[in-house]
Amino acid sequence: MSFEPKITAFVCNWCTYTGADLAGTSRLQMASNVRIIRLPCTGRIDPLFLLKAFERGADGIIVSGCHPADCHYNAGNYHARRRFAIFRELLDFVGLDPARITFSWVSASEGNKWREVVNDTVERVRALGPFTAYRELTPPAAGLGGVR
Amino acid sequence: MNELRDLARRLLGDGTVKAVVGYEEGPRGVRPVFVTRPEDADQLIFDPRAVQNLVTFLNPRRPHVKRLGKLAVVVKACDARAAAGLLRESQLRRDEVVLIGVRCGGVVQSPEGPATLNEETVAPRCGTCAQRVPTLADHVVGPELPAPPVQSSEDEMMARLDGRPHAERWDFWMAELERCVRCNACREVCPLCFCERCVQDKSEPQWIESSPHVRGNLAWHLTRALHLAGRCSTCGECTRACPAGIPLNLLNRQAARTVAARFGYVVGDDPGVAAPVGTFRQDDAEEFIR
Amino acid sequence: MSTTAPITKANLANLVARLVAGGARVVAPVRKTDGLRYREVTDGAEIVLEPRGLPDMSLKAVVFPPTEPLTSYERKGRDVALTAPPLIFQPTVVLGSRPCDAAGLEILDRVMNWDLRDELWFGRRRATTIVSLACAGPADRSCFCTAVGLAPDATRGSDALLVPVNGGFVLEAVTDAGEALVKGNHDLFGVPAQADAEVRQQARQAVAANLSLDPPAVQAWLSAHFEDPLWDPIALRCHGCGACASVCPTCHCFDVVDEPEDLAHGTRRRNWDTCQAAKFTLHASGHNPRADQNVRFRQRVMHKFEIYPERFGQVLCTGCGRCSRTCPGGQDLPEILAAIQARVGGAA
Repeated sequence: MSFEPKITAFVCNWCTYTGADLAGTSRLQMASNVRIIRLPCTGRIDPLFLLKAFERGADGIIVSGCHPADCHYNAGNYHARRRFAIFRELLDFVGLDPARITFSWVSASEGNKWREVVNDTVERVRALGPFTAYRELTPPAAGLGGVR
Repeated sequence: MNELRDLARRLLGDGTVKAVVGYEEGPRGVRPVFVTRPEDADQLIFDPRAVQNLVTFLNPRRPHVKRLGKLAVVVKACDARAAAGLLRESQLRRDEVVLIGVRCGGVVQSPEGPATLNEETVAPRCGTCAQRVPTLADHVVGPELPAPPVQSSEDEMMARLDGRPHAERWDFWMAELERCVRCNACREVCPLCFCERCVQDKSEPQWIESSPHVRGNLAWHLTRALHLAGRCSTCGECTRACPAGIPLNLLNRQAARTVAARFGYVVGDDPGVAAPVGTFRQDDAEEFIR
Repeated sequence: MSTTAPITKANLANLVARLVAGGARVVAPVRKTDGLRYREVTDGAEIVLEPRGLPDMSLKAVVFPPTEPLTSYERKGRDVALTAPPLIFQPTVVLGSRPCDAAGLEILDRVMNWDLRDELWFGRRRATTIVSLACAGPADRSCFCTAVGLAPDATRGSDALLVPVNGGFVLEAVTDAGEALVKGNHDLFGVPAQADAEVRQQARQAVAANLSLDPPAVQAWLSAHFEDPLWDPIALRCHGCGACASVCPTCHCFDVVDEPEDLAHGTRRRNWDTCQAAKFTLHASGHNPRADQNVRFRQRVMHKFEIYPERFGQVLCTGCGRCSRTCPGGQDLPEILAAIQARVGGAA
């Protein structure tokens, strides 16, 4: 039985969430490994959410929102774009493979694109394997002191 | 040095400032000093051991310093960049401080010295600094000095890490971060960590675990580096302050690298230039977004 | 009569191998890119035993880890099940700690057995045998163990003391555990011998030159001069960073937090904390009885030289000098203590 990755998706309400909904109502077949978390805007996505997802067992992450110039709040996605450009390279620097994270712009009418983003992410993370490295960061077992 | 001392004497004597924050000879080398009386101005020194970033004393979270009144602070160009950050972010008014710029040809790695400046001893931050004198200054003192000797153990460390596969980089950083005991020295010495309540201290919910295990430490240091991106002057005080010997400044250098390459921004000492995070351009690169 | 026996450096390495093979954790000073630190070792050749100098951080992590689970919780419906960690501690032998670090642990035994007996602390203490290495003199100007009733060859808190001699060391057993270590490995030790008393006396004098102190007089002065303006100029350069507390052999304050792993499980942990942090005394109401660095810095020195001595009859400081070495702001404890001593008046 092959490994089924757990993917957490942080998506904006106005574009990607609606686009994902469209994929559903259009009966598009796609991988079912994704757990969606809806936020008002990609500008609301704090990189800490991504870290928390990895801490709690996610093998991969999708961050998705409105295309530039289409943000419901005018500029949220522009701020997210800068923020994640920095964060992504910071993660890469400490050895977290950015291939585990997909960033995308998916509009409310792009049900097909959502399907592609999901399927591609699931296959890519499946090939990378479970994110044991993050899970292995669990604190030391009781009874043994760590000597630093 | 006499120029500095005379200036300090004058500023204290005529009441322009209540204290001059500068460097003095302490028991273990150069350390910060708050000179409040004109007759003590001779305590002030400046040499390549003047490593500390004194702008951190302007951090608004220091009520016992604020209570002294208006200060004059001795700043090298790198320190002035931190002062520009505080001004840019409205943590300080320009008329609340007198900045005494000092011409600098580089500093050594440790304020304990020796004061000899060469490729071996020069501090990593000086390798990327082309500014001999701060522009953000009310006065400028000190002789003209040549550019610092070029060395950067930090550059070497970064290059070495860049060449390694992810798994090795991960192992390196987890081994380093395992030693962190969350003393928060890195945060407390940083001039730009001035949040009244740090995100690390936020509970309900606790996004960043406060315990000193690797998982919590990783979340903390990644977040701090991110929150300093485009603001940090890479002065290296965090690395110097860390009792566990973790090369924290490398994370800040990485964020600075991204900011320079993608947004063409390098932290300077002009508070009028807007910071890159909190602003954007319509044509920002987005090749990593599908 | 306690055993004193010579041992070569090579045989010390053999001792390490034997202890590791027997299932013990061996902790010793090791030098890597991050400096000299106490680390777990499996290869005796890694151990650094030098005449002077001490690891950047103290030994307390061996019995008092920076983070330690106190209990785990699991929600089952409306009930919560608590599980304490098993009180099983791996036998540990510390080889080559400095006398100041070993003494620090014994000084802390008092508070750890005060209003509550700390079974985690004492469990680890019981499981740990400490063999200290005498210093040939001060590491630098910041050592002042003799000023607080200790010495570069003090045995307080140690089970045995290694004294350097030509060709190796002489191990002096101090406690039964120390004796047992020698007897159990007698083939690695030579014929009983004494280390040079003259050398040890010189080492003590060299440290004593760094600082002279009359701790009871300092205690009395601190008690009578709580509001003294001495602290104001000193505290200005303190960043409140807590690096001093993290490296100190006797700082022991800790925070207790609950960390959820998910909705149903979590762990209650205790973590190192520092009275120098603004948050340390912050009340939920927002009031902070120690609202700025002046009073926080005063508190640290008072706790060590007035409050702990008053309560437990011990100075909460071993004179290791680490706080002065690590402080990014240039605070110097010997300088501060000398200033207080000067106010006390008279020679110490």
